[in-house]
Order: sequence, then C-alpha cells, then structure tokens
Amino acid sequence: MTARMRPFAGPVTGAVALIVVAAAAMLLAGASPIAGFAALLRGALGGPHQVSETLVQTTSLLFPSLAVAFAFRAGLFNIGAEGQLVMGGLCAGLAGAALAVPGWVAIPLILFAGAAGGAAWGGVAGVLRARFGGNEVIATLMLNIIAALLANYLVVGPLHAPDATGAETSELPRSSWLPLLLPDSRLSVALLFGIALAVSLAYVFRSTAFGYALRAAGDAPEAARRAGIDLRRTALVAMALSGAIAGFGGATIVAGVLHRFNVALSPGYGFIAIAVALVGGLDPLWILVASFAFGILQSGSLSMQAYAHVPKDVVTFVEGLAILALATRRFVAPRTAGT
Amino acid sequence: MSAALELHGVTKVYPGGVRAVDEVDLALEPGEIHALCGENGAGKSTLAQIAAGKISPTGGRVSGADRVGLVHQHFELVGRLRVWENVVLGREPRRGARIDAAAARERVRELARSYGLDVDPDAIVETLPVGVAQRVEIMRELAREPRVLVLDEPTAVLAPVEIDALFRTLETLAARGTAILVITHKLAEVLAHAERVTVVRAGRVVMRSLVAETSIDAIAHAMVGGTIPALAERARTDVVPAFVARDVAAGDGAHALREATFEVRGGEIVGIAGVEGNGQTALADAIAGVLPYRGTMSLNGRTLETLGAGARIGAGVRSIPQDRQREALVLDWSIAENVALGDHDRAPLRRGIAIDRRAENALATRIVERFDVRTPSIRTRAGALSGGNQQKVVVGRTLSGAPVFVVAFQPTRGIDVGATALVQSRLIEARNAGVAVLLVSFELDEVLALADRILVMYRGSIAGSFERGAFDRARIGALMAGA
Repeated sequence: MTARMRPFAGPVTGAVALIVVAAAAMLLAGASPIAGFAALLRGALGGPHQVSETLVQTTSLLFPSLAVAFAFRAGLFNIGAEGQLVMGGLCAGLAGAALAVPGWVAIPLILFAGAAGGAAWGGVAGVLRARFGGNEVIATLMLNIIAALLANYLVVGPLHAPDATGAETSELPRSSWLPLLLPDSRLSVALLFGIALAVSLAYVFRSTAFGYALRAAGDAPEAARRAGIDLRRTALVAMALSGAIAGFGGATIVAGVLHRFNVALSPGYGFIAIAVALVGGLDPLWILVASFAFGILQSGSLSMQAYAHVPKDVVTFVEGLAILALATRRFVAPRTAGT
Repeated sequence: MSAALELHGVTKVYPGGVRAVDEVDLALEPGEIHALCGENGAGKSTLAQIAAGKISPTGGRVSGADRVGLVHQHFELVGRLRVWENVVLGREPRRGARIDAAAARERVRELARSYGLDVDPDAIVETLPVGVAQRVEIMRELAREPRVLVLDEPTAVLAPVEIDALFRTLETLAARGTAILVITHKLAEVLAHAERVTVVRAGRVVMRSLVAETSIDAIAHAMVGGTIPALAERARTDVVPAFVARDVAAGDGAHALREATFEVRGGEIVGIAGVEGNGQTALADAIAGVLPYRGTMSLNGRTLETLGAGARIGAGVRSIPQDRQREALVLDWSIAENVALGDHDRAPLRRGIAIDRRAENALATRIVERFDVRTPSIRTRAGALSGGNQQKVVVGRTLSGAPVFVVAFQPTRGIDVGATALVQSRLIEARNAGVAVLLVSFELDEVLALADRILVMYRGSIAGSFERGAFDRARIGALMAGA
C-alpha cells in the first residue's frame, strides 16, 4: 500500500491532465480558461494578503491531511478527519471560552483539548474496529455526520453562548489567540506547528520502531501479526492518533483564525484532505507541498469566480477528479493487475 | 503425425530488457506427456503462458495455441462459487435467460466419470482441499476440449497420494490423444510418467531427450548448469530437551490440531510427516503464538503460555511460515527493512525509539552473503526477488536471530534445486550448532532426508514416531494415509 510516489512522473502527468480538464470545464462553463487560471493565481498569490490567506488554507488542510495519511499508513482508511476536526474544534472552543487563565497556560490547554476531542472521535472508530472488527470507513463516515449534528445541537442548545450570533461558542479571550506570523493577517503560528508535525511524522515513519510496526500492520498485516505486532492495538492507536492530529487542526482554526468555535469552521477540509494525502503519496513532507497546492486552489477559487466568472465549483470538480483518479490507481488498479 | 502445438524460435523480452524466453523451439505430439523442467526463473511459466496464448511472444511463431488449456500453479478459481459454476464459467449452458444448472451439473458429472476425477459438483470451491481444487481447475480446462493441456507446477501443492491420482488422470487423457505438457522442477515423480523431457535454463532450451535415454542426475545437471550442491554433513550432537509440548490442541474444524504431545531436543531435527490439512498449520501457528491453544508448551523449562507472538520470538522461538509472501515478508519493502521484522522492537536493531539503520543494513548484508541471496542490492524490494531468493531472506532472518527453537514450515516449497539445497543445509547446520528444529513438510522425501526423528500427523494427532535408522517409508506412508 505504500506505493512511494515513484518520484515525479506520475504526479506531473496527473497535474497536467487536471489542468487540461479544468480548462475544459471552464470552457464548458462559458469562461476563458486563461482568464480563469490568471484570476485563480492572482487570487491565491497576487500579493502579501493573498499569500497569507493561501497559507491559512494550507495550514487548515495540512493537519487533516497528515491525519488521513497517518491512518492510511497503518492500513486504515480514515475518511472521518472532517468529524474529528469538528470535534477537536468544538472541544477547543468550549475550553477556550471557559478558561480564564493567562495565554501561555490557556493556549496549550486549548490545543490539547482539540487533540483530545479528535482522538476520542477517531478512537471510537478504532475501538469498533479493534473490538468488533467494524469497518473503519463506514464508522468514520457515520461519525462525521454525528459530529456535525452533535456540535450544532450543543452550541445552539444546552451550551448556547449569550454573546453568540449563530451556531457558535463565545469568543476566546484575546490572550488565548494564537500569535500571528504576519501582522494584520489571519496567518498564525499554527503553520509552524503543522510543518514541525509533518517533519516529525516523516521521522516517525522512516526511522522509529513505532512507525515501522505501523507500516508493517498496514502493508502486510499477516506478516506483521506473526512478527509480534498487535494488529488490534495498532488499529486503535492509529485511529486515535489520526483523530488527535485532525482535532489539533480543528483547535488551530478555533484559536488561530475564528477565535471561537463555529459549526461552519470547515468547508470540508477533512474531505479535501483525503485528496491531499493521496496526492502527497502519504509522505508527510510531500503532503506539505500538496497542502500548499490545494491551499492555492481553495483561496484562489473565490477570486476566480469574482473576476473571471468561472464558478468556483470548477475547483471542487477538479478536486473530485483528483480523488477519483488517485483512488482508482490505489484501490482498483492493484487488484486487476494482480496475478 | 502433425504436432498438437508448435513453438518456433519463440522469444519474449519484457519491458526493461529481461529475456525471459529466448529462441525456444518446442513441439508437442498428440498423446504424449512431455516434461518441461527448469529452475525457478528459467522462463517455464512465461513459456506456458505463451503456449496457452495468454501472452504474446515478442518474436517467433506459435501454432495451435487456440486449443491449449492451462492449469495454473495458483489456481484461478472463484472460491465462493460451486464446482459446477466454476467449470462452466464463461460458457454456461442456458435455458432462455437462465443458466441451465441441471445440464451444467450433468456435464461436470460426465467429466468426472470420464476422467476419474472425483469431485462433488455442488461443493463450494474454497472449502475444498488443494488436491480437489486442482481437479476442478483441470476439469474446467477439459470442458473446453483442448488438444493440449499445460500444467504449471501441478505437483507443488499435492500430497503423494494426490500426485499419483493426478498422473493417473493425465495418463487417461494422453491415452485419448491429448498432448500434455507438465512444467516442474521436481524430477522424480514426473519422469516416472513423462515420455520426453525438455530442460530450459535462463530462457533457452539446454537439453531435449527421451526420458528413457536420460537420468535424473543428467537433467538436474542441465537445470542448474553444474553439479547440485551437496547437503551439509550432519554432525553428532548432545541432545537435551528444549521444546516440550503437552496435550496441545488448537483450531477447529477438519484441519484442527486435536492432541499433540512431543518434545524437540536441542541439536535434533524433528520432522512432521503428513498430508496437508492434518493439523500441521494449527500446530505451527500455536507454537508461533498466533493461534490460541489448550495444553502447555515450554522452552528450556520456561512456560510459553504467557508469551505473545513477539515475546516468543524474543525467547528464541522463531518460525519460517508456510506462505512467505503473505506471512513472512512485506513485499513492498526492501530486503533491509524486511530483515528487521520481528526483531524491530528489541536490541540490537532497536536503539531508543529508533530502528538502528546501520545494524539493519549490516544484518541484511550478512544474510545476503551467508544465504546467497541473488539480488542487486539490499535496497531491492522483496517483492522483486524470485521465490527462492525471498525464501533465503526469510530463512536467513530466522536463523540469524539466535534461535533456540526453529519451526520450519515447508521451507523449500516452490523453490529451485540450488535454493533447496542451501536452505536444507542451513537447517542442518543450525541443528549441528544445537538448535532444536521442527520441520513440517508435505514432501516425505524432504522429511526423510533431514529429520533425526519423524512424527507422523494424521487428523490432528500424532499417529506414529520413527527414529533415524529405523525410518520405514512404507509404514510412514501408510500412517499418513490413516492406516
């Protein structure tokens, strides 16, 4: 399953093909592809403000993407990063609104609450798998829906904040906001956390005994079991840690961007993350690059719509195609090619 | 007489430049049984696929391939379907829009009668023993009335009795005019039945002969391109009990281990003789700690019950599993990464939280040298190695980890003559060095050649025990069959 990105040939052909398809889609939508791409790039990279917004999107995609990759390496298809991100954000938002302590105490606690919330949510799927052999794809898919509805119910109902204008928690005290990397932007130190996490995960996979056992469980479960690797425990740990990474990501959006939990905190980061993780070949360092690429798409698509009159759904469409193409290569091709 | 199948100057070059088959001429006469011999990787399977028209050669001519049936080494059957469904798959007799099941069943019964293939048409294929599954595959090919039947390593998975039954079927077929090509690297049993033999090495034909005019030695010599390496000498050893199993029972169903009490002493090889499916797998899995069992096991006086699979490896119980590709190796990983599997969690390969790459590489290099693994580098993917070289990596890993007790399950299954001799020699050397070895093999000859003591397993129990010097082939064979 590790199909190390056979370095560049595949991704480059894939990227070119996607650009061509995107151009065709723009033509079909009655717009000029050249104007469309120009608007997209201008919107994403046209100035310091645009670049910082792109990096905000990159950060938001990076955590769930690393989460998906982490589970994937252990042979688990976690499509519940979205739900884990939401639960992490919710826990972080509730903790942040309730904590009246100095920032240097509050911020770590808020981030920890986010990771714990995500871990619990991923852990549910892990327990179902480890104890009852439940399929993690179905479990995480269902848990996404439960997370969204639960979060909505809690912030509108029993935990309704007096100062909230929508389905959201109270605003975090200013001291609990993540420090910004650039003044007058929304780009916080979360980006650095994300980069540090990607580098650490690359080390974990490549060099540690823990990462070795995780990969063995994913790549050859029967051989791993005979080598003394406990597959149930691995499934549980991998799902919980994967959830923790996604939940941490949710907490960084709460503490770094929105400064409160809002049920609309993710426009589907957890789903796009599946594409990002696959485009990055499940390698944390390549996922950094892929997150930036998808960050450009996310942040450029609005200006593409505004200035070139290309519906931003073209981007969603292209992302969908990327997922389909990669999933086909990964799940369908090996079976038909097998002897 | 016109040939049933003719290959003229057939060549197959794979992308990447590997010449799997090089200028091969081969003609099969109707009614003959022809043996195609060669080591693993000599190009036999590629040649079979070309003969059956499954892949096209890059050079040369094939005539008659449209009437060739191919029986694969790893059967290509749909496990969830019934026997008759597999046999008629793709050419189902119909009544209106529906499959005419009655006609299909009758067709299967008729084939079974006609060729002496004993199979229940309504059995689900995945529940059948390998020998029977092979009959289904043969039947499926026969249903297409081929002029030529090609069998790729048909005896590799069969017990002695089943091998005899297979050749009786093939002789019936030949007598009715079908040409039969049997691909194999196991010589004795095939030469007993074939009329002509062709030997390939590195894609080229290096010998053709009538079987009556040659010998096993001459063929083996042609296969390996030299003399076969002799086995290691067995030295005298002081034997002390190392592994003791008392009333061990494991698994369920027909292949369960019902009751086994035995010991394996340091410095001896105990061979388990038996037909596949008589509890050997459950026994090996229980010892490895991957299958729950009742009863007790101990190693040098230390109880094993409380130890999981990983802890058992640490205690010196090491296994060569029967399915190297699924149970022993991570095919996508390099040789170097694979040699750490099972030892990744303890010194010397683990240092702190990290795997010590230098120790891992050193171990891999040592194994590649000592076990003669033919590979461009220790960075090569395990999946890219031939079966024999994969097995050498597995055996090397098992024997390099300071074992006290080694369970070797079919350690030479499907590997070539040279690799077989090497693996067997290393096991004997481990025994000479005081290691307790439990050899499980479905090939009686292997057990007879290596074991100091033989235990016969039948229906999950030990049916008999023989000391070296008092091995009685006929008696052992009879116990294996349940006499």
